[in-house]
Amino acid sequence: MKLGFKLATAAFAVAALSSTAALAEPGAWSDEPVRIVVTFPPGGTSDLVARLLAQHLDTDFGQKAVVDNRPGAAGTVAADYVAQQAADGTTLILSNNAPFTIAPTRFANLPYDPLAGFTHVAYIGASAPGLFVQPSSGITSLQEYVAFVKETPMTYGSSGVGSISHILGEAVDAALQVESIHVPYQGSAPAIQDFRAGALDSFYDMVVQNSDMIEDNEAIALAIASPERNPQLPDVPTFKEQGYDVVIENWVGLSGPASMEPDTRAKIHETVMAVFASADVQTKLTDLGITHVAMSSENYEALVADLIGVWAPLIEAAGIKE
Amino acid sequence: MQPEPHAKPPKKQPPGGMEWGGAIGGLFLFALSIVFMVGGWQLGLGVPTRLGVGAFPFLTGAVLSVLSIFICIAERKGDGLSEVPDWVALVAIAAALAVFAASVERVGLVPGVWATVIVASLPDRSLSFPGKAVLGVAVALGCWGVFVKLLNLPFKSFVGIF
Amino acid sequence: METLANFGGGLLVVLEPQNLMYCFIGVFLGTFIGVLPGIGSMAAIAMILPITFYLDPTPALVMIAGVFYGAEYGGSTSSILLNVPGTPAASITAIEGHQMAKKGRAGVALFSTATASFGGGIIGMIVIAFLSPSLAQLALSFAPADYFAVILLGLIAASAVSNGGALKGIAMVITGLMLGTIGIDLTTGVTRFTMGVPELRDGVHIVIVAMGLFGVGEVIASIRGARSGTAAQTVDYNNFYPTRDEWKSLFAPILRGGAIGSIVGALPGTGQTIAAALAYAVEKKVSPLRDKFGTGVLPGVAVPEAANNSATQTAFIPTLTLGVPGSPPMAIVIGALMIYGITPGPRLLTEQPDMFWGLVASFLVGNIMLLILNVPLIGIWVRLLRIPYKYMYPTIIVLICMGVYSLNNNVFDIWLTLIIGVAGYVMRLFRFEPAPLLLGFVLGPMMEEQLRRTMLLSRGDPMIFLQRPISATLLMLTVLIILFALVSSLRARRRNRAAISSTN
Repeated sequence: MKLGFKLATAAFAVAALSSTAALAEPGAWSDEPVRIVVTFPPGGTSDLVARLLAQHLDTDFGQKAVVDNRPGAAGTVAADYVAQQAADGTTLILSNNAPFTIAPTRFANLPYDPLAGFTHVAYIGASAPGLFVQPSSGITSLQEYVAFVKETPMTYGSSGVGSISHILGEAVDAALQVESIHVPYQGSAPAIQDFRAGALDSFYDMVVQNSDMIEDNEAIALAIASPERNPQLPDVPTFKEQGYDVVIENWVGLSGPASMEPDTRAKIHETVMAVFASADVQTKLTDLGITHVAMSSENYEALVADLIGVWAPLIEAAGIKE
Repeated sequence: MQPEPHAKPPKKQPPGGMEWGGAIGGLFLFALSIVFMVGGWQLGLGVPTRLGVGAFPFLTGAVLSVLSIFICIAERKGDGLSEVPDWVALVAIAAALAVFAASVERVGLVPGVWATVIVASLPDRSLSFPGKAVLGVAVALGCWGVFVKLLNLPFKSFVGIF
Repeated sequence: METLANFGGGLLVVLEPQNLMYCFIGVFLGTFIGVLPGIGSMAAIAMILPITFYLDPTPALVMIAGVFYGAEYGGSTSSILLNVPGTPAASITAIEGHQMAKKGRAGVALFSTATASFGGGIIGMIVIAFLSPSLAQLALSFAPADYFAVILLGLIAASAVSNGGALKGIAMVITGLMLGTIGIDLTTGVTRFTMGVPELRDGVHIVIVAMGLFGVGEVIASIRGARSGTAAQTVDYNNFYPTRDEWKSLFAPILRGGAIGSIVGALPGTGQTIAAALAYAVEKKVSPLRDKFGTGVLPGVAVPEAANNSATQTAFIPTLTLGVPGSPPMAIVIGALMIYGITPGPRLLTEQPDMFWGLVASFLVGNIMLLILNVPLIGIWVRLLRIPYKYMYPTIIVLICMGVYSLNNNVFDIWLTLIIGVAGYVMRLFRFEPAPLLLGFVLGPMMEEQLRRTMLLSRGDPMIFLQRPISATLLMLTVLIILFALVSSLRARRRNRAAISSTN
């Protein structure tokens, strides 16, 4: 009885799920399905980028790919796992700041080496965070903000201790020489909710993803931490142009275990770049707030190394080093 | 009709023996609460207006320690244990879980589940060993079908063979 | 009336063959996965996410929603039959449901939960249809202080859930609170009680606690019967369907559960678990059968099901209209929408009316499908019970292991389940109930987070709790409830003493 029921269910579900069945088919660089490990639970930005990539690898290049979420310990669980896999291009990680540029400084005993332990293959893009304040505060520029906060410290919400928004908040405080009260949340959504409820004075989050709030005048974006103004929000000035050297971006890329064959690495790089070269995919990326930049594997690797050094003083200044 | 003089009902033997069994439970809780109180204290209590990291563990531990003392007192002549402890079952199930944990990544899902089923069904004397082995195979294949094929969960079916 | 017109439009959308099909697939998959212990709606939704990429937003959303409340319903099946909650909220259903199953009334229990879920779902749907904007506004005006007050109320309710005596119930809730502090402290990033174990950094996963306390403990306790070769649980076929009176007795609890669930579910973060607990606690106070709670009473099984099904649906309100996910599966929904370029927010109602109303109407269709799907299955489930337990229980253990392992693909979780399972059995021996502990474990960290956040935001001023109208009202309500409970228990004791002394 039980077996019969199981078989019936199996037949039905296989029909429904046949698109995700793991069959061996010739793919762009691997005959086996490729696993893209994600450092956060499903639904986050890096998860969505991974799924977008996986979908297009399959439909456009016949390379089967599945997303494997391994959240935990600020991204280090996933990174540690991938570092130990075979370097044949079948296991990759959707790299981002958390395991590669923040964790090395933040945690004293990292089980993996962010540079030597991985082959950094392809850079995907970045989104930039910024500072938002309440429209009711009447503050419309960074100068006014500085003047206000010097009198009365503001509370600011971040998406968690050690998150990019937290580090940016501390970096901005240091650059502006003010002191704000950090209120951490689990992710940016609850922070934005408290902001909307009027309980939070300000918050830091990716700017483009909140453009709806800016348009509806529910939040005022005072500055963005990208090197240049974002074309989608040309009215938001950068910290840099206002004289504060605060450039912090949330980047995503694709990496694999160490010592990958140069041919495999090149093939993966080529395929991924092709996926993100399409206008359709780029639109979806910008909807997620990410701007794609084509970059060579070597430059990507150099970028990661560089960023570790850039983030280190910020992390120490934020006081989250363990 | 004359009301019967108030007589104490005959003392029930608690099904699990150990009339004061409930008090041991209270002691366990007390010990646990002390652990958290000490840990919380070490983490720092902070001030009421800016609660420290250890405040919550300490406070909950403190309340629990008081409650557990009350429980000890109340349970001294209480209902005792709910049943006679089945140590064999406890060990068997614990061992089954341990077997699963140790084997599922080393030998794969199918052999691991098979072993787990056998260990779990050890206390069952009404099933012969071959019967247990067959049950193990059935469950293992069922799990493989449902979890690996259908749901595409990342399990390794056989390690070292496939 | 505009709402009815909108709803009609939504119904037309949902009745399109494609949407109907995906609604069915979602509901079917959800139920099936919900029955498997440990693998809840989160895993189910993550599993179907790849398929949704090939679909338009409306069928995708309808399917995801179907998985969500289907899983919630499926979770109650394993709760009743095996005392292994398929989802945390189902652990409340397990309290009465499993007792009923033990008495051979599993069929009645399953019918009741099917009906209650359906009723709760309809109530939730009506609430969404008519009250979305107001509930969204309400959720928007909730500040941390208000959340703290709600959760505190939920905790008091959790203490009331215990059937074994208030003292032990409160102790269990406090223990749950205490154990919930294991892991990273959200406010400061400091690790607490992890004893250097990296896997404990994110705390103990609630599924592990639920599986260990309920599932493993239950299996250990039940083996004795299997060992001696006694047959499986008896099924009283005469009592298969609820009697007429029993059907009638379901009506009020469903209404109460559905109402509580819809409101609590609309508050982001509070979720179905609080809804089920609160509904059960209220029912215990209000039901004519209140003295029999704990032995397997119909209202006790119906009310949490109605509550958590309606909460499951109203959880979409903050998700869609505010972009604030009420729970991790909702975060996936938001993510999926964003891939379509649809940003959840106040604009969604106006910009995507077809999708929103199609979703609302799909709740009606989906719940009907669930009913049609599951009622015949009840016979199969009940027959499952007749499989000798000696075959079932190793399977259950394996299913628990699979469910737990699928969380993080980490065997450490299995070891943890082992320890908690042993503790669960020992607790059972000492007559400590697991349900209040689970609730405390879920609610504790939330409460602490909101408390400390309130203090941070108010710059250390505790008066904020009384200054905000919502929190002040809720806190006063909580104090009143505690006082009332104290007074009534004192009176009961005095009455008992008087009764005893009067017979002397």
